[in-house]
Amino acid sequence: MNPEPFLQLDRVIHEKGRMAIMALLAASPELSFTELRDTLSMTDGNLSVHLRTLQEAGYVALTKTFQNRKPLTTCALTPTGRNLFSNYINLLEQIVQQNKAK
Amino acid sequence: MDSNWAGEHLQVIRTLMERSAIYRRTLAPIMLLLGILGLLAAAGGWFFGLESGRAFVLYWTAIGLVGLCGAYLMVRRQSLKEAEPFWSPPTRRVTQALLPPLFAGLIAGILAVFPAAREALQIWWLPPLWMVLYGCALHAAGFFMPRGMKLFGWGFIVSGGALAGCLSCAGGVYALLHAHIVMGASFGGFHLAYGLYLYFTENRKNEA
Repeated sequence: MNPEPFLQLDRVIHEKGRMAIMALLAASPELSFTELRDTLSMTDGNLSVHLRTLQEAGYVALTKTFQNRKPLTTCALTPTGRNLFSNYINLLEQIVQQNKAK
Repeated sequence: MDSNWAGEHLQVIRTLMERSAIYRRTLAPIMLLLGILGLLAAAGGWFFGLESGRAFVLYWTAIGLVGLCGAYLMVRRQSLKEAEPFWSPPTRRVTQALLPPLFAGLIAGILAVFPAAREALQIWWLPPLWMVLYGCALHAAGFFMPRGMKLFGWGFIVSGGALAGCLSCAGGVYALLHAHIVMGASFGGFHLAYGLYLYFTENRKNEA
């Protein structure tokens, strides 16, 4: 198998938790922190750590607002994050195609 | 290296993206709509004294269709609001999951209005049968929706089964007017309770 596509996989995304977060955000304009947490069955701490990693990499934007005077954190993919996630999926597809061709 | 891992990753991504789509925020209003519709319909059936088998079946089939159309209109409204396509892969998959049991319920209803079949399939058996089939439809759709939906489906299946058991023991000899109450309590009450639960829990969750 040509290892090239595997080596190109984005290491920030290529982690189970972060990949799941990116997948959910790719399908929605934005999701609240709690929607992500409940859908992925993650703990607050675990999700916070992954979101911070993605935010620091510039893949995810977090917005803190207030709803009914209570804090609301919403998460959305940045244009960069969306592009890189798309590239990540393309690379996975390439790897699948390579395996099929073997 | 395991040659399947990339395909499995893609499958996980696909499932998550489908689960993430437009249903989450629309679900509470849809459930509230269906709950109120079910309760009003039950009250209407009781008030207008729809006691014939044919009237019962046609009435509740029409109510079911109105509820289904209302639910899809709300999804449509949400998709327009979010500038997302209405007939998206998740919508298609949920529809595909819902259709077979709902279609089976429709067939059972149609059969029940024909005199020849009415003896074999007593009208009183329709509410539990519809509850079980509807529960199966919700459970199937639950694979593409928030996790609580499967449990909600099980609620209908178990309640329908329990009602069928009670009817078997009692011989199914109640007045059809009581069947309106059963329909209202199950389809109306369950939806309303789930809608209220979603409404308040979603609001609370968003505050975190």
